[in-house]
Amino acid sequence: MRPGFLLGEVANGLRRNASMVVSVVLVTMVSLFFLGVGLLAQAQVSTAKGYWYDKVQVSIFLCTPDSVDVASCAGGGVTPEQREQVAADLDGLQPLVTEYFYESNDEAYERFREQFRNSPVLDSIPKEAIPESYRVNLSDPSKYEVIRAAFENAPGVESVEDQREVVDKLFTFLGVLSVGALALAVAMVVCAVLLISTTIRLTAWTRRRETAIKRMVGASAFSIRLPFVLETVVATLIGAGLAVGLLWATVRYGITGFLSELLAGDSGLISLVGPRDLWLITPFLVGGALLLAVVTAWLALHRHVRV
Amino acid sequence: MVTAVTPLSLEKRVRMITLEQVSLRYAKGDPWALREVDLDVTRGEFCFVVGPSGSGKSSLLRLVNLEQQPTQGRVLVAGHDLGELPHRRVHLLRRQIGVVFQDFRLLSGRTVAQNVAYVLQVLGARAHEIRQRVPETLALVGLQDKGRRLPHELSGGEQQRVAIARAMVNKPPILLADEPTGNLDPDTSAEIVAILDRINRAGTTVVMATHDTTIVDQFRKRVVQLHEGRVVRDQAEGGYREVVAQ
Repeated sequence: MRPGFLLGEVANGLRRNASMVVSVVLVTMVSLFFLGVGLLAQAQVSTAKGYWYDKVQVSIFLCTPDSVDVASCAGGGVTPEQREQVAADLDGLQPLVTEYFYESNDEAYERFREQFRNSPVLDSIPKEAIPESYRVNLSDPSKYEVIRAAFENAPGVESVEDQREVVDKLFTFLGVLSVGALALAVAMVVCAVLLISTTIRLTAWTRRRETAIKRMVGASAFSIRLPFVLETVVATLIGAGLAVGLLWATVRYGITGFLSELLAGDSGLISLVGPRDLWLITPFLVGGALLLAVVTAWLALHRHVRV
Repeated sequence: MVTAVTPLSLEKRVRMITLEQVSLRYAKGDPWALREVDLDVTRGEFCFVVGPSGSGKSSLLRLVNLEQQPTQGRVLVAGHDLGELPHRRVHLLRRQIGVVFQDFRLLSGRTVAQNVAYVLQVLGARAHEIRQRVPETLALVGLQDKGRRLPHELSGGEQQRVAIARAMVNKPPILLADEPTGNLDPDTSAEIVAILDRINRAGTTVVMATHDTTIVDQFRKRVVQLHEGRVVRDQAEGGYREVVAQ
């Protein structure tokens, strides 16, 4: 079979089965989109984890004049001696404590005002209510408990917080999103396989006369099956292209554009997936879809087309 | 009572189709479609296979065209034992066989010329080859002026001629015709068999299954008669209902 004739057969087949082709395109697009979302969410978790774990710190909040209901703050606000004692204790915890810095009440209030600049409660919070703190970096962030044991209930210390707990909630959310998207993708891939198989069966039925003639005149099994497979490949490629386009739009305008701008003001603690991550997974998405389409089509042809 | 005879000396003639003790049934428990059939068709021969419906005529052609494997016995076509032919080589043997059916089996959306060209396109012929051979073959069946017509614009006889042209465009050495005149009036049937006769005279081996009494009687070719799957007569230049003494 010559290439020109083969392409004509494929184009003819696509035109005659337009509705089935559209359904394969759409199912492929949706399944690959969810697969892509799942993979990107996983990429987001792994890239952000390293980035954020380096940045997050343990915060030791010192007493304010309002912290009277905490036992260690019975005397009201933290005294200079208590503050210096905490610093001295932190010095004593090296090398676990790699560095720490002091955030004064003025600096803390300024950051608070920046973070909540759009909130109506801003004016109702007095400056004194915002605690001064020590921000502590650990050589091993998992040893947070050592710091907590050392400073919780220490005089002048209101509370000890591990910021990783906050970040971990985000990672858990991303993990669930990733697993959910992948599960949906698996279900959609099963749909795609079944749909391709059904499409082949219907196409084989509508073209049974051509197939019978090809067999009769001595066309090889490969050349009889090839147009069917190529039609499936074309539909799958269009679906994959649309899925990649949709993922690109989501990453470009949804994440790189909207989300990163939204989070940019939040202390810069952000590292989001971008188009580069998408291009890294694109060959696997498209290649996997093509492989699946070819194998499914070939198996369906073995079953439904007599050669 | 009818008696089987072997009319021709086959020793020094090239065998194109050979059936050796061939029996066929489509499923276990079904009646036999063919029983212990022995048959030789030599190169360039024209052979009618006759018998009532259900006698096994179409089954015999299906065995020759590798549509079916025999339950017992051997089938040889152009020197190849079909039972030992690897599946991947079946299509190559089919290229040696043209087939014509009672219901024409043309592609309704393609013109006469496109129907004939389709075979060559499927087999990978070059464009200039197709341009040359399609008109030649249409001329062979007398349809040189109707290449642009669609099948539904033709009479039954003309459609069958297109089917013959399609079967012959690849110049196969064997032509199988399964009731090719079954849907046609007597005059048109005679025209179709005359075309097959012409093709045969040009060297193609023709095996035609039919229950058309007039045609068989008119053309006086070799007749192989089947009855309930058995060959009950094999006669050179026979008629449809003749009983030949052993």
